[in-house]
Formats: sequence, C-alpha cells, structure tokens
Amino acid sequence: MSNSKYLKKSIWVFHLNTGSCNACDIEILDVLTPYFDAERFGVKLVTSPRHADVLLLTGPITQESLPKVIKVIEATPRPRIILALGSCAVGGGIWHDTYSTIGGVPELLKILDNLRIEVDGVYYVPGCPVRPESIIYAIALIKGLAEKKISKKVKKVAR
Amino acid sequence: MGWNGLFKTLVKKLGPLKALIIASEAGRVTRKYPFEPPLISEEFRGKIEIDENKCIGCGACVNVCPPNALTMEQDNDTKVLKYFIGRCIYCWRCIDVCPTGAIRGTLEFELATNNIDDLHEMVVHEVVKCRVCGKPVTTIAMKDFVLEKTRYAEEYIDLDPYCRKEKFIKAIEGRFGYREQQ
Repeated sequence: MSNSKYLKKSIWVFHLNTGSCNACDIEILDVLTPYFDAERFGVKLVTSPRHADVLLLTGPITQESLPKVIKVIEATPRPRIILALGSCAVGGGIWHDTYSTIGGVPELLKILDNLRIEVDGVYYVPGCPVRPESIIYAIALIKGLAEKKISKKVKKVAR
Repeated sequence: MGWNGLFKTLVKKLGPLKALIIASEAGRVTRKYPFEPPLISEEFRGKIEIDENKCIGCGACVNVCPPNALTMEQDNDTKVLKYFIGRCIYCWRCIDVCPTGAIRGTLEFELATNNIDDLHEMVVHEVVKCRVCGKPVTTIAMKDFVLEKTRYAEEYIDLDPYCRKEKFIKAIEGRFGYREQQ
C-alpha cells in the first residue's frame, strides 16, 4: 500500500460530481448512512476541498466542468488522492467517445500532467453505478485493510 | 452523519440514559462489510469472464456492447478481443448474444485498483491466412467452429473474400462456357 503512509488516520473526502447521472452520487450518500457507515473508517464528507484528503469524482468530466475540476484539485492540500467512482469516471463509460466529455479520469490525468499539477494517487472503482460495498472496499484498499483482487490478464487461445 | 453522529445528537438532546435505552431497543443496523460477506443476490450482475477455449473471435459481443468495453483489434498475425472493465456497465448483453456460450457472468464487484492496467483483459486469437493472397481471413477457432457445422465449407473457409469472389466468378464462367477456348 503506497498511500497508506499518508492516510493512516481519518480520510476526509470531498465529493465532486463532474457530469454524472446522479446514480453514483446516491450510492455515496448510501455509504455515509448508518447502514454501511463509512464513519467506521474515519471517512467524513467535508464541504471544502481545502479540508479534504481524497476527492470523490463521479461522471465522465464534461468540458463545462473541466475548469472547475482542475480548480478543486489545485485547492486540495498535497497528499491528494483521487477516487474515480463509477464506469464514467474510470473509463468514460457510455460517454467515452461523445462530444463535450473528455472521457474520465485517465484523460484528466494527462491534462493535469501538462499543467504540472501533481496527484499522489488515483484509485479506480468500476461499477455502473458503484455498489456501496465496492466504495467501502476501495476505502479498505487505501487503508490497507483489504488486498487487491484484480490484475491484468492476457489469455492466449490454445494451439 | 453516521451511526456515531446520530448517537451523539441523541445524547445531546435526551441525555445519556434515555439515548442508551433507545439505542439498545433499535439494535445494530450497520453492516461490517469488509469483515463479513457482502449483500449480493443471485440476480446481481458483476464482471464478465471470457473462456478463451470456447471463444471463437466472431465479434458478436463487440457489436452489441453499448459502451464499447469490448473491442476487437486485428493485425496480420493475431486478432485480440479486449475487455476494459473500467468502461463496462454490466448489462450482460454480450452473454445473451455469444454463439458459443464463452462469456459467463460472475458476481464479482471488488474491482477497485490503483493501476488502470489491472482493468484490462485480453483474449489473443491466432489468425488463418488466405491460401491465395496471404491476407488474414478468420481465427483458427472460428474456422474449426464453421467446419463443425458445415462440412463443404472446407473449399472456401481459408479464402479471402476477394479470392472467394474470384473463385466463384471462375466457376460461373466455366459453367456457361465463357472461358476462352484453347
């Protein structure tokens, strides 16, 4: 766990919708209610990116929201981690090749690289929408409580 | 505001004793998820799994995939079916459409990762080349699949569409006597 050295204590998160359909946002709300209770891990939703350790990004990052997203990332203090929630944020989802969206966090990282804004870690959480449990799993991954289960696979057809 | 926050506001409003009674009557609702099994049912749709021994590389799943999570890339020697989990919307239409039943749905949802390369899966097919012009025609698995269904396809299965057309035209010419007499 590379990032657990920064985030040993409570993770304060800032939720930012970058053009998502609200489904992932509802699941984030679900995680913070007593039923799933992300407060067990010290996760707290804050109202300003200046207080946050982790940014929760949902949506495929529309061109309209892109300047605001960059401003928010700049405003977050330095060990900053992005949690890309949902298929739209991870790979553009169903909007990956449409006009007026840039197609998810991987494209955003390229833009940030050109602007020389550094991000200390990106966690990708696929799902359409993300299950509340997969958000908790991602938090557990950041804290070092769970192990990564997925890896790149190249299957060769026999013969 | 989680369970602790609720309890704190209760204590502030009612005093510790009354709040404790209310809390003990309600019991615990919080799931201990990473330390206990998740709440998933049989109907849940998770990540798909492609069986490389059954897949024939026909591309039906690629045609039907709404967000283009499944894509096909072909070069001279290989035909690669790529599955990008990060873009998948878990509609499972590929499972319905697969002619050989190579795609299977799983209940996996713990897919979070810090490296986007982990979300890629590939099935690499070898390619049959045209016996006349040497261009790639189909995959080996597809050739075997077609030959199993129709025996007489042996004559043209490893031919490029243009070479196939040429062969057909020659056959027609021969039948109607248009071929030049020698």
